[in-house]
Amino acid sequence: METSDRQSVEPVEEIQLSISDLEPQGIDSNPESIQPKPGYFLPIFSSTFITIFLAEMGDKTQLVTLLMSAESQSPWTVFTGAALALVATSLIGVSIGYWLSKKLSPETLDLAVAILLLFITGWLISDVIGS
Amino acid sequence: MDWQLVGLSFVTVFLAEIGDKSQLAAIALGGNSKNPRAVFFGSTVALILASFIGVLAGGTVSQFLPEKLLKSLAAIGFATMALRILWIGGETETR
Repeated sequence: METSDRQSVEPVEEIQLSISDLEPQGIDSNPESIQPKPGYFLPIFSSTFITIFLAEMGDKTQLVTLLMSAESQSPWTVFTGAALALVATSLIGVSIGYWLSKKLSPETLDLAVAILLLFITGWLISDVIGS
Repeated sequence: MDWQLVGLSFVTVFLAEIGDKSQLAAIALGGNSKNPRAVFFGSTVALILASFIGVLAGGTVSQFLPEKLLKSLAAIGFATMALRILWIGGETETR
């Protein structure tokens, strides 16, 4: 009933919203078949993957994981716990970002994201020089 | 499965990772992207693969990895993304 009410008031906006909501899902599940915006999922996935993977190799978390697994008799149990923790922290991080993107204006958001990324860059450089 | 050990490693890694570089990156990229799910999957797979390699290689990993080179490349990657946002103006305009 709610839907029909809304449709009668704002039919155009409703349709646009539903299309933009559906697109990422379709590409998520089937990257080859739907190509209105080619490589919509993959570039974001791969740029995130590459930068975070490079930043994380040899980092604190990886060292903690390998130390714990070396000390214990069951490295894969340690790995399970570590993997769950990493899923949790990623989910929290992305959720915070998503929540902020709803709160801030696009200009402020772009500036904040750029500053945060430059901060991470500086952190990595200080890691390289300091270690 | 030793659930106590799972819990212990979960808490240890969770505390090590909260507020760390990669979580800040997840916040930045997740906030900037129109597809936060892609960011979530990318970041999760990267982190799990990194710790998988850690477990697989054991204590020798730090000896043969060019850690400084990898981190420098990551720094270049993050700087590029930051400058791209400042110059081109985020994903809203590039779509």
